[in-house]
Amino acid sequence: MRKNLSAGKILDTAITYMILLAVAFVFFFPCLWLILASFSKSGSIYSFDGFFPAQYSTASFEKLFTDTTMYNYPKWFLNTLLIASGSCALGTFLTILTAYTMSRFNFRMRKPMMKTTMVLGMFPSFMGMTVVYLLMTQFGLINHLGGLILIYASGAPMGYLTQKGFFDTIPRSIDEAAKIDGATNFQIFTRINLPLSKPIIVYTALTSFTWPWSDFILPKLLLKEKNLYTVAVGLMSLDETEFARFAAGSVFIAVPIVILYFCLVKNMVNGISEGAVKG
Amino acid sequence: MKKKSIALLMAACLCAGMFTGCGKDTEGAQAAPDAQEKEQTSVVSTVFSGELEHDVTIQVLENDTAVSKGYFAELIEAFNEEYAEYGIVAVDANMNQYLDLANDGPYGYGPDVLYQANDIIMQYAEGKHIYPLPVEKMECFDQIPETAWAAYRINLGGTAYTCGVPVNVQAPMLYYRKDLLPEDWEQVWDENGNKIPDMAENWNAMYAFSVSRHQEDGSRYGYMKSLYDVYFSSGFLFSYGGYVFGNNNTDPSDIGFSAGEAEKGAWVLSQLASTMNEECIDDSITTNAYSKLADGTYFATITTPDMYSTFLSEMALVYEEEGLSKEEASAKAEENLVMTTLPALPESGDLTDENAAFFDAKSMGGINGYAISAYTKHPNACLAFVEFATSYDRMVRRSELLGVAPARNDAADTAGGTSQLLYDNLEAGNIVLMPSIKEVSQIWTPGETFFTDLAKDAFRTEGEKKYTDLDAMKKGLEAVDQQIYDAIFTLK
Repeated sequence: MRKNLSAGKILDTAITYMILLAVAFVFFFPCLWLILASFSKSGSIYSFDGFFPAQYSTASFEKLFTDTTMYNYPKWFLNTLLIASGSCALGTFLTILTAYTMSRFNFRMRKPMMKTTMVLGMFPSFMGMTVVYLLMTQFGLINHLGGLILIYASGAPMGYLTQKGFFDTIPRSIDEAAKIDGATNFQIFTRINLPLSKPIIVYTALTSFTWPWSDFILPKLLLKEKNLYTVAVGLMSLDETEFARFAAGSVFIAVPIVILYFCLVKNMVNGISEGAVKG
Repeated sequence: MKKKSIALLMAACLCAGMFTGCGKDTEGAQAAPDAQEKEQTSVVSTVFSGELEHDVTIQVLENDTAVSKGYFAELIEAFNEEYAEYGIVAVDANMNQYLDLANDGPYGYGPDVLYQANDIIMQYAEGKHIYPLPVEKMECFDQIPETAWAAYRINLGGTAYTCGVPVNVQAPMLYYRKDLLPEDWEQVWDENGNKIPDMAENWNAMYAFSVSRHQEDGSRYGYMKSLYDVYFSSGFLFSYGGYVFGNNNTDPSDIGFSAGEAEKGAWVLSQLASTMNEECIDDSITTNAYSKLADGTYFATITTPDMYSTFLSEMALVYEEEGLSKEEASAKAEENLVMTTLPALPESGDLTDENAAFFDAKSMGGINGYAISAYTKHPNACLAFVEFATSYDRMVRRSELLGVAPARNDAADTAGGTSQLLYDNLEAGNIVLMPSIKEVSQIWTPGETFFTDLAKDAFRTEGEKKYTDLDAMKKGLEAVDQQIYDAIFTLK
């Protein structure tokens, strides 16, 4: 009986692993292919030896950063970094404030506001693109990276519900104890709740960064000058014969986001465990 | 009850919204274009007063090839030097060459001067996004053939306006590798002994060579081109009497892809497809032709003359990989790559006809040129730029650097070679210019569907083939005409 159970368990584990490996392969293979293609020596997809490049070199990456007459990738990269960083800082600040307010304070219209934001959040963001374009023309913010930061940051608090959920888990009794000790609302927020909210701040910062980092529609709509392009728009504007540059550009754009993730994931985990102990 | 009332009110609003598009145009709505036309009549003389605006910057949008090859930088530098005393500065508009002037222009974004193909410029002209120009007063006027000017002409309220200045002629050219010719080509493949291989002179020889090259080595091909591409494939139909729109491409109610003996052109295409691989069904060959011609997989292909430098670069890369120095590789690429006009077609449409009588092939082409945005604040400075950029010297230089065929007669004479051949083809009517009316946007999808099907036929079994004879091809082309007609007029 014991032997049978063990065999079943082994089979179950084996099948689970096989399914997991298959799914991982489906997701990993395109990435692997693109990474290998970006190191293709010929630079042409049509000279591959079967599915993978016949020879490898770093020429595509060198070209990406040195040949900037037509396609100024370094500039696009810096633009993207600026937009994503700005949106991340401002967006995180606004989202955390919104979530904390909704979680901790009771005021008139709080419920209707929550319902409204929830309903508005269900509409796809590109639905309002025409209006955004018209507004940006009126404010003179077309061809301005600041205009994009403004839109991303002001749109970020719409997704405050996750953060509110986190703040709801921090016991109010801590706030009340602090109040008895004479702390103001601002002090409670900055000295008690914020340090406890590290994981959700990191999560918010990461999502606020990744959205503008990979977004295409909005920059395409608002940035008309090539030197102001973000990487996503710039890569789309490449000529059909520039596959190697496209592959190299696509691979390199993933580097900062991967670094950011590995740097922040530790804080997220630590924060979560800290929060759990204190909670 | 209250909720029900609100729901009913919202439903009523939705219904009302749906009907707002129905009904006839009001008189007011018809009156607006008339007023605009009157306004436009005086535009040419009032806008282009001849008095140059001083101390202004104009944004110029050029095509990517001109930018990448350094021609554009040279052009604006020369212009800025010439007009320094007026303080006029031309700068790169730094935008995507496929701009959207109709949407961005009204909000003040977009170039002052733009370089585009005639069909794009004329779509902007129909939307009144660009200015009509006083071309008769321009220095280049007499040097550019009437056919080219006609591509930029629009008729509004009985008055003809010219909305662009032709710069260069775009039409399909045959590219082939001289070093891939058989060693004995002068004995076997040069029947008339004129030192030009027969494959470059007529499609029958190209077909025969393609068959033999593929038979010798299954991984190698002769002529390769995606049939899918309407721009290149439709020329075969035009050669046998087909056309896009009637009345000189201005009457969208008369669609002529099936006119004359256009089905013979389709037959030629299907015979050529039989010597290719399945990549001719979609646009794979169009994309991979540069590297495949360079590595010797393909012997020949057709595309526009502005891609000459791309083919050269690809070939030079291959030679470099084979061990040549950069200079040697470039020289060898230039020596071996030949760009010439399209081969002649057999009157019968049969590429295996050994006693065929040949005639010059026609092709769809375009005229790229400059136009001035209607949203510019400095029209006279823009006109000065266009005058400068279309001068003899600049056109010759453009041709030298980019390998394009000038639309100016004197510049084409100086450039010689294929530029002159293209110019002559334009004058002889062998280049059918892309229609300059907005309805042209409806020809692509039905055309692509037909050509894709035609290409697939080459890889179907006998029983599955759709176009087994000329009658079937004729019917297929008539269906294309009908589909285009429906696309244009169903909702009009």
